[in-house]
Amino acid sequence: MKIANGKDFWAGAMFIAFGLAFMAVARNYSMGNAVRMGPAYFPMVLGGMLAVLGAFIFFRGFVSKIFNPLAVFPFRLWFVVGGLILGVLAFYTQPPRDAGAVAQIANMLLSGAAIGLMFAAFGPRSLWVILLSVVIFGYALKPLGLVLATGLLIFISAWGGHEFKTKEVTILFVSLAIFSVIAFVRGLQLPMNIWPSFLE
Amino acid sequence: MDLITNLGIGFGVALTFQNLWFCLVGVLLGTLIGVLPGIGPVATIAMLLPVTFTLNPTSALIMLAGIYYGAQYGGSTTSILINLPGESSSVVTCLDGYQMARQGRAGAALGIAAIGSFFAGCVSTVIIALFAPPLAEVALKFGPAEYFSLMVLGLIAATVLAHGSLIKAIAMVILGLLLGLVGTDVNSGVARFSFGVSELSDGIGFVSVAMGVFGFAEIINNLEQKGEREVFVKKVKGLLPTFKDLKDSAPSILRGTALGSFLGILPGGGALLASFAAYTLEKKVSKNSANFGKGAIQGVAAPESANNAGAQTSFIPLLTLGIPSNPVMALMIGAMMIQGIAPGPQVMTERPQLFWGMIASMWVGNLMLVVLNLPLIGMWIKLLTVPYRILYPAILLFCCIGVYSLSNSPFDVMQTAVFGVVGYIWVKLECEPAPLILGFILGPLMEENLRRAMLLSRGDATVFFRRPISLTMLLIAAFLLLIVVAPVVRKKREEAFVEA
Repeated sequence: MKIANGKDFWAGAMFIAFGLAFMAVARNYSMGNAVRMGPAYFPMVLGGMLAVLGAFIFFRGFVSKIFNPLAVFPFRLWFVVGGLILGVLAFYTQPPRDAGAVAQIANMLLSGAAIGLMFAAFGPRSLWVILLSVVIFGYALKPLGLVLATGLLIFISAWGGHEFKTKEVTILFVSLAIFSVIAFVRGLQLPMNIWPSFLE
Repeated sequence: MDLITNLGIGFGVALTFQNLWFCLVGVLLGTLIGVLPGIGPVATIAMLLPVTFTLNPTSALIMLAGIYYGAQYGGSTTSILINLPGESSSVVTCLDGYQMARQGRAGAALGIAAIGSFFAGCVSTVIIALFAPPLAEVALKFGPAEYFSLMVLGLIAATVLAHGSLIKAIAMVILGLLLGLVGTDVNSGVARFSFGVSELSDGIGFVSVAMGVFGFAEIINNLEQKGEREVFVKKVKGLLPTFKDLKDSAPSILRGTALGSFLGILPGGGALLASFAAYTLEKKVSKNSANFGKGAIQGVAAPESANNAGAQTSFIPLLTLGIPSNPVMALMIGAMMIQGIAPGPQVMTERPQLFWGMIASMWVGNLMLVVLNLPLIGMWIKLLTVPYRILYPAILLFCCIGVYSLSNSPFDVMQTAVFGVVGYIWVKLECEPAPLILGFILGPLMEENLRRAMLLSRGDATVFFRRPISLTMLLIAAFLLLIVVAPVVRKKREEAFVEA
């Protein structure tokens, strides 16, 4: 059978997966009964409904009169393979709890890279570059301070767009860094350090 | 009279220096962000939500409401000037507004949009003040069964009005409900679906979902479409419409306001439905209908009045029932919960200052919009000429700082990025995220009311059909589903959205 509507096909698959996943996890909680519902009751019912609706959408994808190609958005299989390999590697090289900080950080970076690769498998370049810049900002803000984290965010995310003009981005970075220090740290009093924590 | 005393309390709160200031800041910030093409009110509010956390609840809600009107008005400005709707509710404004701009009448179009919105704002403020108290009184008598059925109705109505596939919209609602259940279960104390991650035991951050799905995913989609924006107007002259313009559009403003106010109250209604319906109605009844799509001023006046009226009256179900009728209201509920206010009919009796202050501030906010935005239009046009490649890193930065400041941890930022990816995929698969947000907010409430109703009825599920109010709501929900599934309506519905 040929798939007519790729969007329905994938959307259906996604809903089925979500529904079943919620049901599978909910099995760990107590179900209760209709009078006293346990924590598993409502998610179980909803998960089932979602999976059924998903199945309907999935099969509609085969008979739909709307035609969409199966490749709805760019997909890089190699990234998934790489992510899986790194993930397995990270899992089996997990250092013991009392291991040194270097081993811990190395393992964290490895698992981070694995997760990052999996996400980067979807969509256009701008998707993963921009979201990567966001995540880096989140993790860099405390150790590196607002100014440097802003720099990382602006330069990486601008690189994810269509045009990258170094001079323009630098001006943007400087003005945004000054603005956010004045507005957020001085003005709104958000608890953020401006410079790297080891300098202050 | 009660109405006068209540509005008196409200204006007493709204007109304090502090609240006027936050209203002003909200309106300005909202317009500023709303003007940026491709960013609608939901993304704007999600972005600016963290700014309000440090304020007291009343000021925070006043500011958020200001942001909402500002964003909406900013969206119309963008539609008229560059034919790029910032949000779905100003899609119809593009049709005639942009044509007017091309004919050199951008000033008149912007002016009539502002005046229409202001008039609609005044009327709907009075409507809220009139209808909210009796409705809240009815709602106070609601038991858990009624609440559950009301939520079912609200969610069904929201899916019926979503674009595209109904069944996908329902699936998105259910997915939203499920995501809303992540976190510690109030009854048993079990941390559900948290996979041992301590941050998840408080539930998925609602700001993260909204910002990821509506903010980040939108930026990425905008970047994917390499469209060149053409700012048609460099300088807008003659902002005040002529007397003839006013005379021509007065009936349209009236009709738009009436229709918008009514549609805003319905669950699932709000600005979007209001503006579409008003445009369609106007096209049918206006004397000038031949010129629609070619720069008819009525085609700007009616939807702009209607969307503002609808935006405002959609606060009624929020304030009286605690049920959000659209994603913006879902964000408002989220904001209320973060401020420690449980939304529902008791807000009006327990916190009259907040309730009436917010209503009065709506009128104040609308006045500010007219007074401030007409002179500031030059600035907004300048902003529109800034290329997107400069804008989006700045938007990202403000989003990130906002999300980070929620709990000062990188986890929320990470979570938002994940929802950015998921949001992108949903857009590509034509799964509307708006119903998901509603489900997400209502998930825990719905479970709680279902549990209570079943406990009270000793496990008898027919309780939802035996109580008259509950039955009525379920019947309306079933009716809505039926008419959408009916082939005739289905065709019409598809046409209506295609026409847009």
